Amino acid sequence: MSELSAPSLPPTGRAPLLAAGALVAMVAGSAAGLLLVPADALQGEVQRLMYIHVPAAWLAMLSFFVVFVMSVLYLVQRDLRWDRVAASSAEIGVVFTALTLLLGSLWGKPTWGVWWTWDPRLTTTAILLMIYVGYLVVRSFADEPETRARWAAIVGIVGFVDVPIVYLSVLWWRTLHQPPSSPRSTAGEFVYVLLLNVAAFTLLYIYLMVRRYRIAVAESHLEELQMEGA
Amino acid sequence: MSGYGTAEDGTPAVWLEGISKRLGRTWALRDIHLDVERGTSLVVIGPNGAGKTTLLRVIATLLRPSAGAGEVLGLPLVRGADGIRRGLGLLSTRNHLYDDLTALENLRFAAWMAGLRAREERFRSILASVGLSSDGERRVREFSSGMRRRLAFGTLLTRRLDMVLLDEPYASLDGDGIRMVDGFVEAWKRAGRTVLLATHRRGLAVRAADRVVVLGAGRLLRYCRPSELDPADLDGGTAE
Amino acid sequence: MQLALRTWAILWKDMLIELRTKQSFSAMIFFAALVLFLFGFAVGPDTATLSRLGGGLLWIAIAFTGMLSLGRTFQSEEVAGGLDGLRMYPGEVRAIYLGKLLANFTFLLVLEAFLVPVAVVLLHLEPWEHLPVFVGIMLLGTFGFSVIGTFYASLTHHLRARELMLPLLLFPALVPVFLGAVNATSLALAGDPLGQIGVWIRLLISFDVIFLVLCVWIFPTVLEE
Repeated sequence: MSELSAPSLPPTGRAPLLAAGALVAMVAGSAAGLLLVPADALQGEVQRLMYIHVPAAWLAMLSFFVVFVMSVLYLVQRDLRWDRVAASSAEIGVVFTALTLLLGSLWGKPTWGVWWTWDPRLTTTAILLMIYVGYLVVRSFADEPETRARWAAIVGIVGFVDVPIVYLSVLWWRTLHQPPSSPRSTAGEFVYVLLLNVAAFTLLYIYLMVRRYRIAVAESHLEELQMEGA
Repeated sequence: MSGYGTAEDGTPAVWLEGISKRLGRTWALRDIHLDVERGTSLVVIGPNGAGKTTLLRVIATLLRPSAGAGEVLGLPLVRGADGIRRGLGLLSTRNHLYDDLTALENLRFAAWMAGLRAREERFRSILASVGLSSDGERRVREFSSGMRRRLAFGTLLTRRLDMVLLDEPYASLDGDGIRMVDGFVEAWKRAGRTVLLATHRRGLAVRAADRVVVLGAGRLLRYCRPSELDPADLDGGTAE
Repeated sequence: MQLALRTWAILWKDMLIELRTKQSFSAMIFFAALVLFLFGFAVGPDTATLSRLGGGLLWIAIAFTGMLSLGRTFQSEEVAGGLDGLRMYPGEVRAIYLGKLLANFTFLLVLEAFLVPVAVVLLHLEPWEHLPVFVGIMLLGTFGFSVIGTFYASLTHHLRARELMLPLLLFPALVPVFLGAVNATSLALAGDPLGQIGVWIRLLISFDVIFLVLCVWIFPTVLEE
């Protein structure tokens, strides 16, 4: 049973440090977003949602970009470690995509008067959610780790390439009917607070990845143990 | 076309080193080591579920091994897949025939898929050699399982092969059909082709084989000459 | 040369089987007509509303019916004993994708030849003014649908829940082609008052090309085992 290495999980040495860092940054970012900057002149207090809406959307994109890179790496090198990173990132990405949609909807109600608007970015985010839920469901259908990794990598690559194309098509669809109704671009101190929050969310992502990857390794050990005659 | 991996360069027909294959939650093959010389015949025996079909599918490059390395016809298993397929034919237990095509159309499809254009006379002579000369225009849907097996054999004959893998070739064949299979195996061996034959029946092929492999639960239990076979190996290998 | 022969072999074989089992094809045409009727009931009998929504309704009917036909793409192989039958031949594996893609494309076009006239009558469509453009859009949209659909059909064909997984994966990926086809068709039916149709046709062509290249490139990985 030489190929079945003894269960050894990646070390968690710096994970608590990461968690603390992410927590501090998130608290600081939220405080800055809620207290430091003034409310938007046009939209009022609700505009403060931007400080988590935009970072959440950024995180979703980052996660799926990682899925894409890891999927390509897996297909080239056939190393299951890349697949575990991809799977971890996809799960986190789906959670934050859902959060982005939720926040967008909450923001949209007072701003546009409706829970949902066919804004190109919001619509693309919804399609994104569907693509990567599909990614996770496909994973659950394969019994062999190699098959699962291969199917997932294919969906991960085609899905990611699809994203800008979906965005472009929705943008054309909207602009040919009426101008896009997105929140206006931000400037000045807004940007710094936003950047702080983006950094905080990125730290959170790294922490979640470390944790989720550990679970992925444990899951694959469990799978090895469940093999008949292992 | 056969610039590399020919019989003359001395490479074995099959060389497997520590091949394992996971299917679902089981190891269909565990740590298989195997060496098959060119122009010889090897019979693989073992009960249902021993891994015979998986072994043939790995050699035919249809399954990517989970672990281990190997060469077939002098080419590496994964990277050389296309070259291996060029010289290799597999008779699967599933026949891979299309019910709504006629026997002749099935042969034409097989030839085209291998990149060959052939005349109808060629297909008719193949049909004759598998005992289906008067059934060329009939749809396979009307065929008995024995006739399907014969036609599946015919699809192998549409191209020139260096190695033939036969998975349960005797299945659903009558006495005539079994003699036909043994005749083909003999002819292939005389022509210098390598033949791998998986069966749970100890027919003529086992006695005529150069080597025998006994598989059990995915492991290689014995690899020897037919004369060295233990009766116990065979009992483990067949319920007949 | 060999790629062409192998691609042709699969197209020839699938078309021959389709011709010899016409029952499922006629059933599918009736299903498509049924979908159009349901749209009529859902939207109401108002002529103006029906023809305004015509492009969208037509493409939803094509997508639903096409989904059924995609599911059958690899069924003939399953009945014959699985994809090993095609995989064991030497030569470019992409021929399998291209052959199945052309078979699906041809099949859908024949289906549309029946479906579109029915839609023209039921939904009060007016394609006559821009008929060549309309036909071109149908070809481009159907090709894009076949490109993506054949790809995901090959990925899901041996999944346990393929009837569910195919639309779940296919529809999100289809959004660009669907948007392009629906908008171009609607504009063609409305007589293209603002001259925007060219943009959509160019987009549709680019989507078709991008997805074709992507699917052809990645396809060999799909067929591994």
